[in-house]
Amino acid sequence: MDLAVGTNLDRFVIVTYFVIVMGFGAYFGKYSKTTSDYFFGGRRFSWWLISISIVATGIGSHSFVKYSTKAYQYGFSSTMTYMNDWFFMPLFMFGWLPIIYYTRVGSIPEYFEKRFNKTARSIAMLMILVYMIGYIAIQFLTLATALYRIYSIPLMVTVVIIAVATTIYMHFGGQTSVIFTDLFQGLILIFAGLLLFFLGLNYLADHTALGGLQAFWQNLTPDQKLPLAHFNRPPDFNFVGIFWQDGIAGSIGFLFLNQGLIMRFMAARSVNEGRKAAAFNVLLVLPISAIVVSNAGWIGRAIANAVPGALPAGMEANDVFVAVTNVVSSPGVFGFIIAALCAALMSTADTLVNASSAIIVNDVYRPLAKKEANDIKELKIARFTSIGVKVIAVILVPFFNSFDSIYEAHGWFHSTFTPPLVVAVFLGIFWKRFTTPAVIATFVLGAALMILGQFFPELVKPFSHGIELRPGRGYYYIGALYNIAVCAGVGVIVSLFTKPEPMEKLKGLTLSDVNSLREIFKGSKPNDRLGEEVTVLWKLIDSDKNIVRFSKHEMDKMAAEVGDLVYVSDSRKWLGGLKSIHSVYGEPHEEQGIIYISKEQLEHGQFVEDKSVTAEKEM
Amino acid sequence: MLDFAQTWLPFLYLYGVGGAAFVIGMMLILRTKALNSEIPRHRLWIKVLLFGFGFYFTLHAVFIMLALGSS
Repeated sequence: MDLAVGTNLDRFVIVTYFVIVMGFGAYFGKYSKTTSDYFFGGRRFSWWLISISIVATGIGSHSFVKYSTKAYQYGFSSTMTYMNDWFFMPLFMFGWLPIIYYTRVGSIPEYFEKRFNKTARSIAMLMILVYMIGYIAIQFLTLATALYRIYSIPLMVTVVIIAVATTIYMHFGGQTSVIFTDLFQGLILIFAGLLLFFLGLNYLADHTALGGLQAFWQNLTPDQKLPLAHFNRPPDFNFVGIFWQDGIAGSIGFLFLNQGLIMRFMAARSVNEGRKAAAFNVLLVLPISAIVVSNAGWIGRAIANAVPGALPAGMEANDVFVAVTNVVSSPGVFGFIIAALCAALMSTADTLVNASSAIIVNDVYRPLAKKEANDIKELKIARFTSIGVKVIAVILVPFFNSFDSIYEAHGWFHSTFTPPLVVAVFLGIFWKRFTTPAVIATFVLGAALMILGQFFPELVKPFSHGIELRPGRGYYYIGALYNIAVCAGVGVIVSLFTKPEPMEKLKGLTLSDVNSLREIFKGSKPNDRLGEEVTVLWKLIDSDKNIVRFSKHEMDKMAAEVGDLVYVSDSRKWLGGLKSIHSVYGEPHEEQGIIYISKEQLEHGQFVEDKSVTAEKEM
Repeated sequence: MLDFAQTWLPFLYLYGVGGAAFVIGMMLILRTKALNSEIPRHRLWIKVLLFGFGFYFTLHAVFIMLALGSS
């Protein structure tokens, strides 16, 4: 179907949006002074900033197209994948999050070396990089598919233009730019998605004798109102397959292995802020996101039932997002909603690109350099790596374009790459008995059995839950259950037949040690005496140590001791920790209401003259 | 007409298998004291975690009942 859409006003709105985001992102480049800033934003941000920026990371450009397609075909069950993440939250919030935060690992592969050995780290690094770069390629493909209809520019040229645009702000800004542009884009995404829903209801009200919401509800069939799909039918969209592929493999993959997401949580100013961000995100933001990405399909279905002929004849389900947006919105508004699609791409791609360059610097460059890390050089490498990652992603686009649909490309990707990693990280964290030979076997033998399953679907059949086998295409989503089972089986069997790791080596790396991680992080016993926040003015002193000094009075108020950890931030809470530092309490001084800081701390925290700062004891 | 395989079977499977993962996770973090009910802040987190489970359970159940009601 030829779906040429959009006016010159729409094109202008989209280009303007790109320019604003690039400028916005480039501005925050000044906050990236070190690789810690570039990758982790200096570990200083508030939960709400992390949470809203995650919205934009979680919603990729593929999400709008993928979920509105399924929403159009199957109704409310398109929300399944957004509403099944709570089951692993206890283990994430109180297991994995404190482990990665307090052990100060720079990347997930680095955890594999600490927990197992260098070989495990190298294999994990390769698999995670392939996963993330492939994910970026899918993002490029989805947005280019939508934009080339509007601008009539060839698909691959559109892909290159998008890659260049996102590179501009990513190159300079790193994680801080990513967080702030994602905050902005997250709000735009939610607003645009809900605006589309509102416009759709208005359209239905204008074209039927009913109110908008009533017309919407009555023009969906009962099965389209169900929140979960049919248990095992049809093969390409059923509950049980998607549960194992997304609810289990996908959820663990997203929470435990998505380096971009992990880095976002590590940018939080404390573990507790990370927990708040995670809980708020899954409880409130994900259900809203489900509506944001799916509603074009629901509205499209209701319009198709209530106003026959309103949508283009012969429209394919994949085109429903652009078609519905075009029908229900006016010129300019259409451009704005498509700009939101751009927001979804840019915000997901920037996170993954930043994460990929973190892995390349941390797991390739540093081990190879074999000398004291030079931060300036590493920062330079990180910036250029982000360009290289995009070039590879662009090259991969034609491969993903060969799938029948973006939903299938994404599903294949998830069920193929995540299970060995999911099993390895999960058993590594929660089972002390899991050994190094077992993790290597999980990666190698597990992957071999997975490939066998793709060639011989009869191996997957016992796991199929009655899902029909599609000739020549195998079992789709339920393949994730087979993949998890064979990888876990290999991991458990090899562990039981190999020598356990020495307990000393595992210290602080498994769930059973989470309780002692704070002490490992601080280097001495945490001070948990209850204290208050204090607000003081800063004064510059000549010092090269990473300590800050308060008066005795303020130290008492905070219940702090010399050597405790402190977090100092600009008193304006709405900055979300942008201007802040972590430090250590030094010996107290005599000037009440004043904190002594060094020049380096001032530059890092970007504190403003005559503006007060708030300090609180961390531990 | 909506049948059991479309309505309550997926729901039971979701909260049976997913619920088992949730309960095992809760037990593990409580037993290892990663989530320590003696710490006031952690007591609040226990409530949040249980609320989250109940929230999604209720949301899915309500929508299934609404769909059944409109059939």
